[in-house]
Amino acid sequence: MTTLTLKESPTVPLEAETLAPDVIAPLRHDAIAALPVFLGKRQRRLDDFFTIEGDGSDELEVRGDLGRVKWIGRGMTRGKITIVGNAGMHLGAYMKGGTIEVRGNASDWVGAEMTGGLIHVHGDAGGQIGAAYRGSLSGMNGGIILVEGSAGIEIGMRMRRGIIAVKGPVRDFAGLQMKGGTLFLLGGAELRTGAWMIRGTIVCLKPIALLPTFSYACTYDPVFLRLYGRRLEELGFSIPYQPDAGGYRRYSGDAAVPGKGEILVWKPQVA
Amino acid sequence: MGGKVTCTLGEVKNRADLIVYWGGNPAECHPRHFTKYTLTQKGKFVPKGRKDRTMILVDIRETPSAKAADIFLQVRPSKDFEVLTTLRALIKGQRVSAETVAETGLTLEQLQDFAERMKKARFGVLFFGMGLSMTRGKHMNSAALLSLAAELNAFTKFVAMPMRGHGNVTGGDVVMRWTTGYPFGVNLSRGYPRFNPGEFSTVDLLLRGDNDAALILGADPGATMPQPAIDHLARIPTIVLDPKVTHTSRLARVHITTAATGISAPGTVYRMDEIPLPLRPALKSPYPTDEDVVRRIYKAVAKKPAWFPGTK
Repeated sequence: MTTLTLKESPTVPLEAETLAPDVIAPLRHDAIAALPVFLGKRQRRLDDFFTIEGDGSDELEVRGDLGRVKWIGRGMTRGKITIVGNAGMHLGAYMKGGTIEVRGNASDWVGAEMTGGLIHVHGDAGGQIGAAYRGSLSGMNGGIILVEGSAGIEIGMRMRRGIIAVKGPVRDFAGLQMKGGTLFLLGGAELRTGAWMIRGTIVCLKPIALLPTFSYACTYDPVFLRLYGRRLEELGFSIPYQPDAGGYRRYSGDAAVPGKGEILVWKPQVA
Repeated sequence: MGGKVTCTLGEVKNRADLIVYWGGNPAECHPRHFTKYTLTQKGKFVPKGRKDRTMILVDIRETPSAKAADIFLQVRPSKDFEVLTTLRALIKGQRVSAETVAETGLTLEQLQDFAERMKKARFGVLFFGMGLSMTRGKHMNSAALLSLAAELNAFTKFVAMPMRGHGNVTGGDVVMRWTTGYPFGVNLSRGYPRFNPGEFSTVDLLLRGDNDAALILGADPGATMPQPAIDHLARIPTIVLDPKVTHTSRLARVHITTAATGISAPGTVYRMDEIPLPLRPALKSPYPTDEDVVRRIYKAVAKKPAWFPGTK
C-alpha cells in the first residue's frame, strides 16, 4: 500500500490527476515523489505537497483535507484509492474501473463521464455527480456511485448507463436530460427532478414535486427493482421491493422533449 | 443541447410581429428599446408599426412595461422553468398535467393560447432578462428559453436575445468567444482554455476562495456579489480599474483611475445583438485608458524572470 499525507491545504486548487493507481503502481518511491502536479499554472512535484510512504502499489491511501485537490483518480482503470478526509472536484472523473472510497465529503463532478468502477462517498457530495461535462453529449456510461449524505444540483445530468444512489436529500435538476441508467434518491429531491429526461429511471422514496410535463401512469411493483434492491443491499443501501410493503407510482416524461423516462415514487401500503 | 438562435435588432424592427419579454422590464431598464427597435417603429414587413405587432410580457409582478403589453402573464416567482418546459411540450402537442400547471400561477388555457400565438407568428422574438437568468434554476432557465426558441423554428421563424445590462458585457462575451472559444468561466492556467461555469466562473471562485489575486475591469462585484464573495475580495490583493471609485475600490489594495470609455477614451462597444460599434471620445482625460493600463501591467510582468517547470 502507498500512503500519501497532505502536508498542508494548498491556497489555490491543486490539480493532481497523477494520483491514480495506474500512474503510481509501477513506480518506486522516488519516482512517485517526482510526479507532476499543478498548483495554479505552476508545475510542482508531488512531494512538495504530500509525505509519501512506501513504493507504488495498486492500493493508495490519501490522508488530509483534500478539498482543494482536484482530479484524484482521473481515468483510473484498476486498484483502490481510499481518501481519509475530504476530496476535491472531479474525483474519479472518466474512471473506467477500480474503487474509490471517501471517508469525508466530496465536491462537484464526482465520477463525471465515468464508464466503470465504484465510488463510495461516506459524507456529502456536491453537484453534477456522474454528469456530462459542459458541451458533452453523455455523462456516466457505467459503474456505480454511492453517496451516504446529501448531494447538490444536476446529479446524473445526461447520464447514459450505471447507477447513482444518494441516501440524503438532493437539490434541483436531479437526472437532468438523463438518457439512461438508474438514479436512486433515498432522501427525496428538491425541484425539477427528471427535467428533460429522454430515457432512464429515477426512483424516489420520498414524495416529490414533479414538473407539469410528467404524467401519472400507474401504481405497480416493478420486478426489475427486486434485482436492484438485492444488489443495493450488498452495498449497504436498501430500497423497499416487497409487494406487500407498498407500490411505486410511475410518472412518465418528460413530455417537453418528448421523452420516455420514468420517475417511480414510493408509496407505502396504508395499513 | 444549447445554442442560441438569434438575429440583429434591425431584423426585429423590420420583421417581428410577435415580441415576448420574459423576466425583464424594458420600460425602465432599456427605455429606448420599444421605440427604436421592437414596438413602435414601422418596418419593411410590419408597415403599420405597433398595430402590426403583438407584445407579451411574462414577469412575476406588474411592472411599468406591462402597460405597453397586449398580454401580461404573471408567473409565480421561480416558476419560469416550469412554464417554459410546459410550453415546449404544448407546441409539440404533448399532454401536460393541468393541476401542476396551475401551481405556476398561469392556467393551462393561458399557456395553450400563448403556444398557439407563438406558432402562428410570422417572426417571433423572445427577449429575456435577469428576472429569468438570475433566479432559481439560473442557466437552465436561459437554456429552457433558448431551446423553446430553437424548437419553434419547426413551425415559424423564431429567435431569442438576452437583454444585457449596463457596461459592455456583450463585448466581454464576444471577445472571450473569438479568443478562447468560450464566452465566460474560462481557465487558462494549464496553457489552454478550459470552460466550466460553476468551477471557473467568478462568483463561484470567490465563494470557495480558490483565487489568490483579482483584477477587476469594468465591473463592480463589491456592489452586486454575495457577502462571502466580497469578503474574499477584501482578503486577497484586488486591483480595480475604473473611471470612478466603486464599492470594489473601497475594499481593493489598488485602484487605478482610468478614462471613461465613450466619453474620454475611444474603443468598441458591442450592442446587445452583438453588433460592434466604434466609440469616438468627445472629451480629453488626464487619465490613461483601460487598454493603456493593462498593456503597461503586461509589459512589467513580461520583464520578470521566466518561469520553468521544476522551479518554485
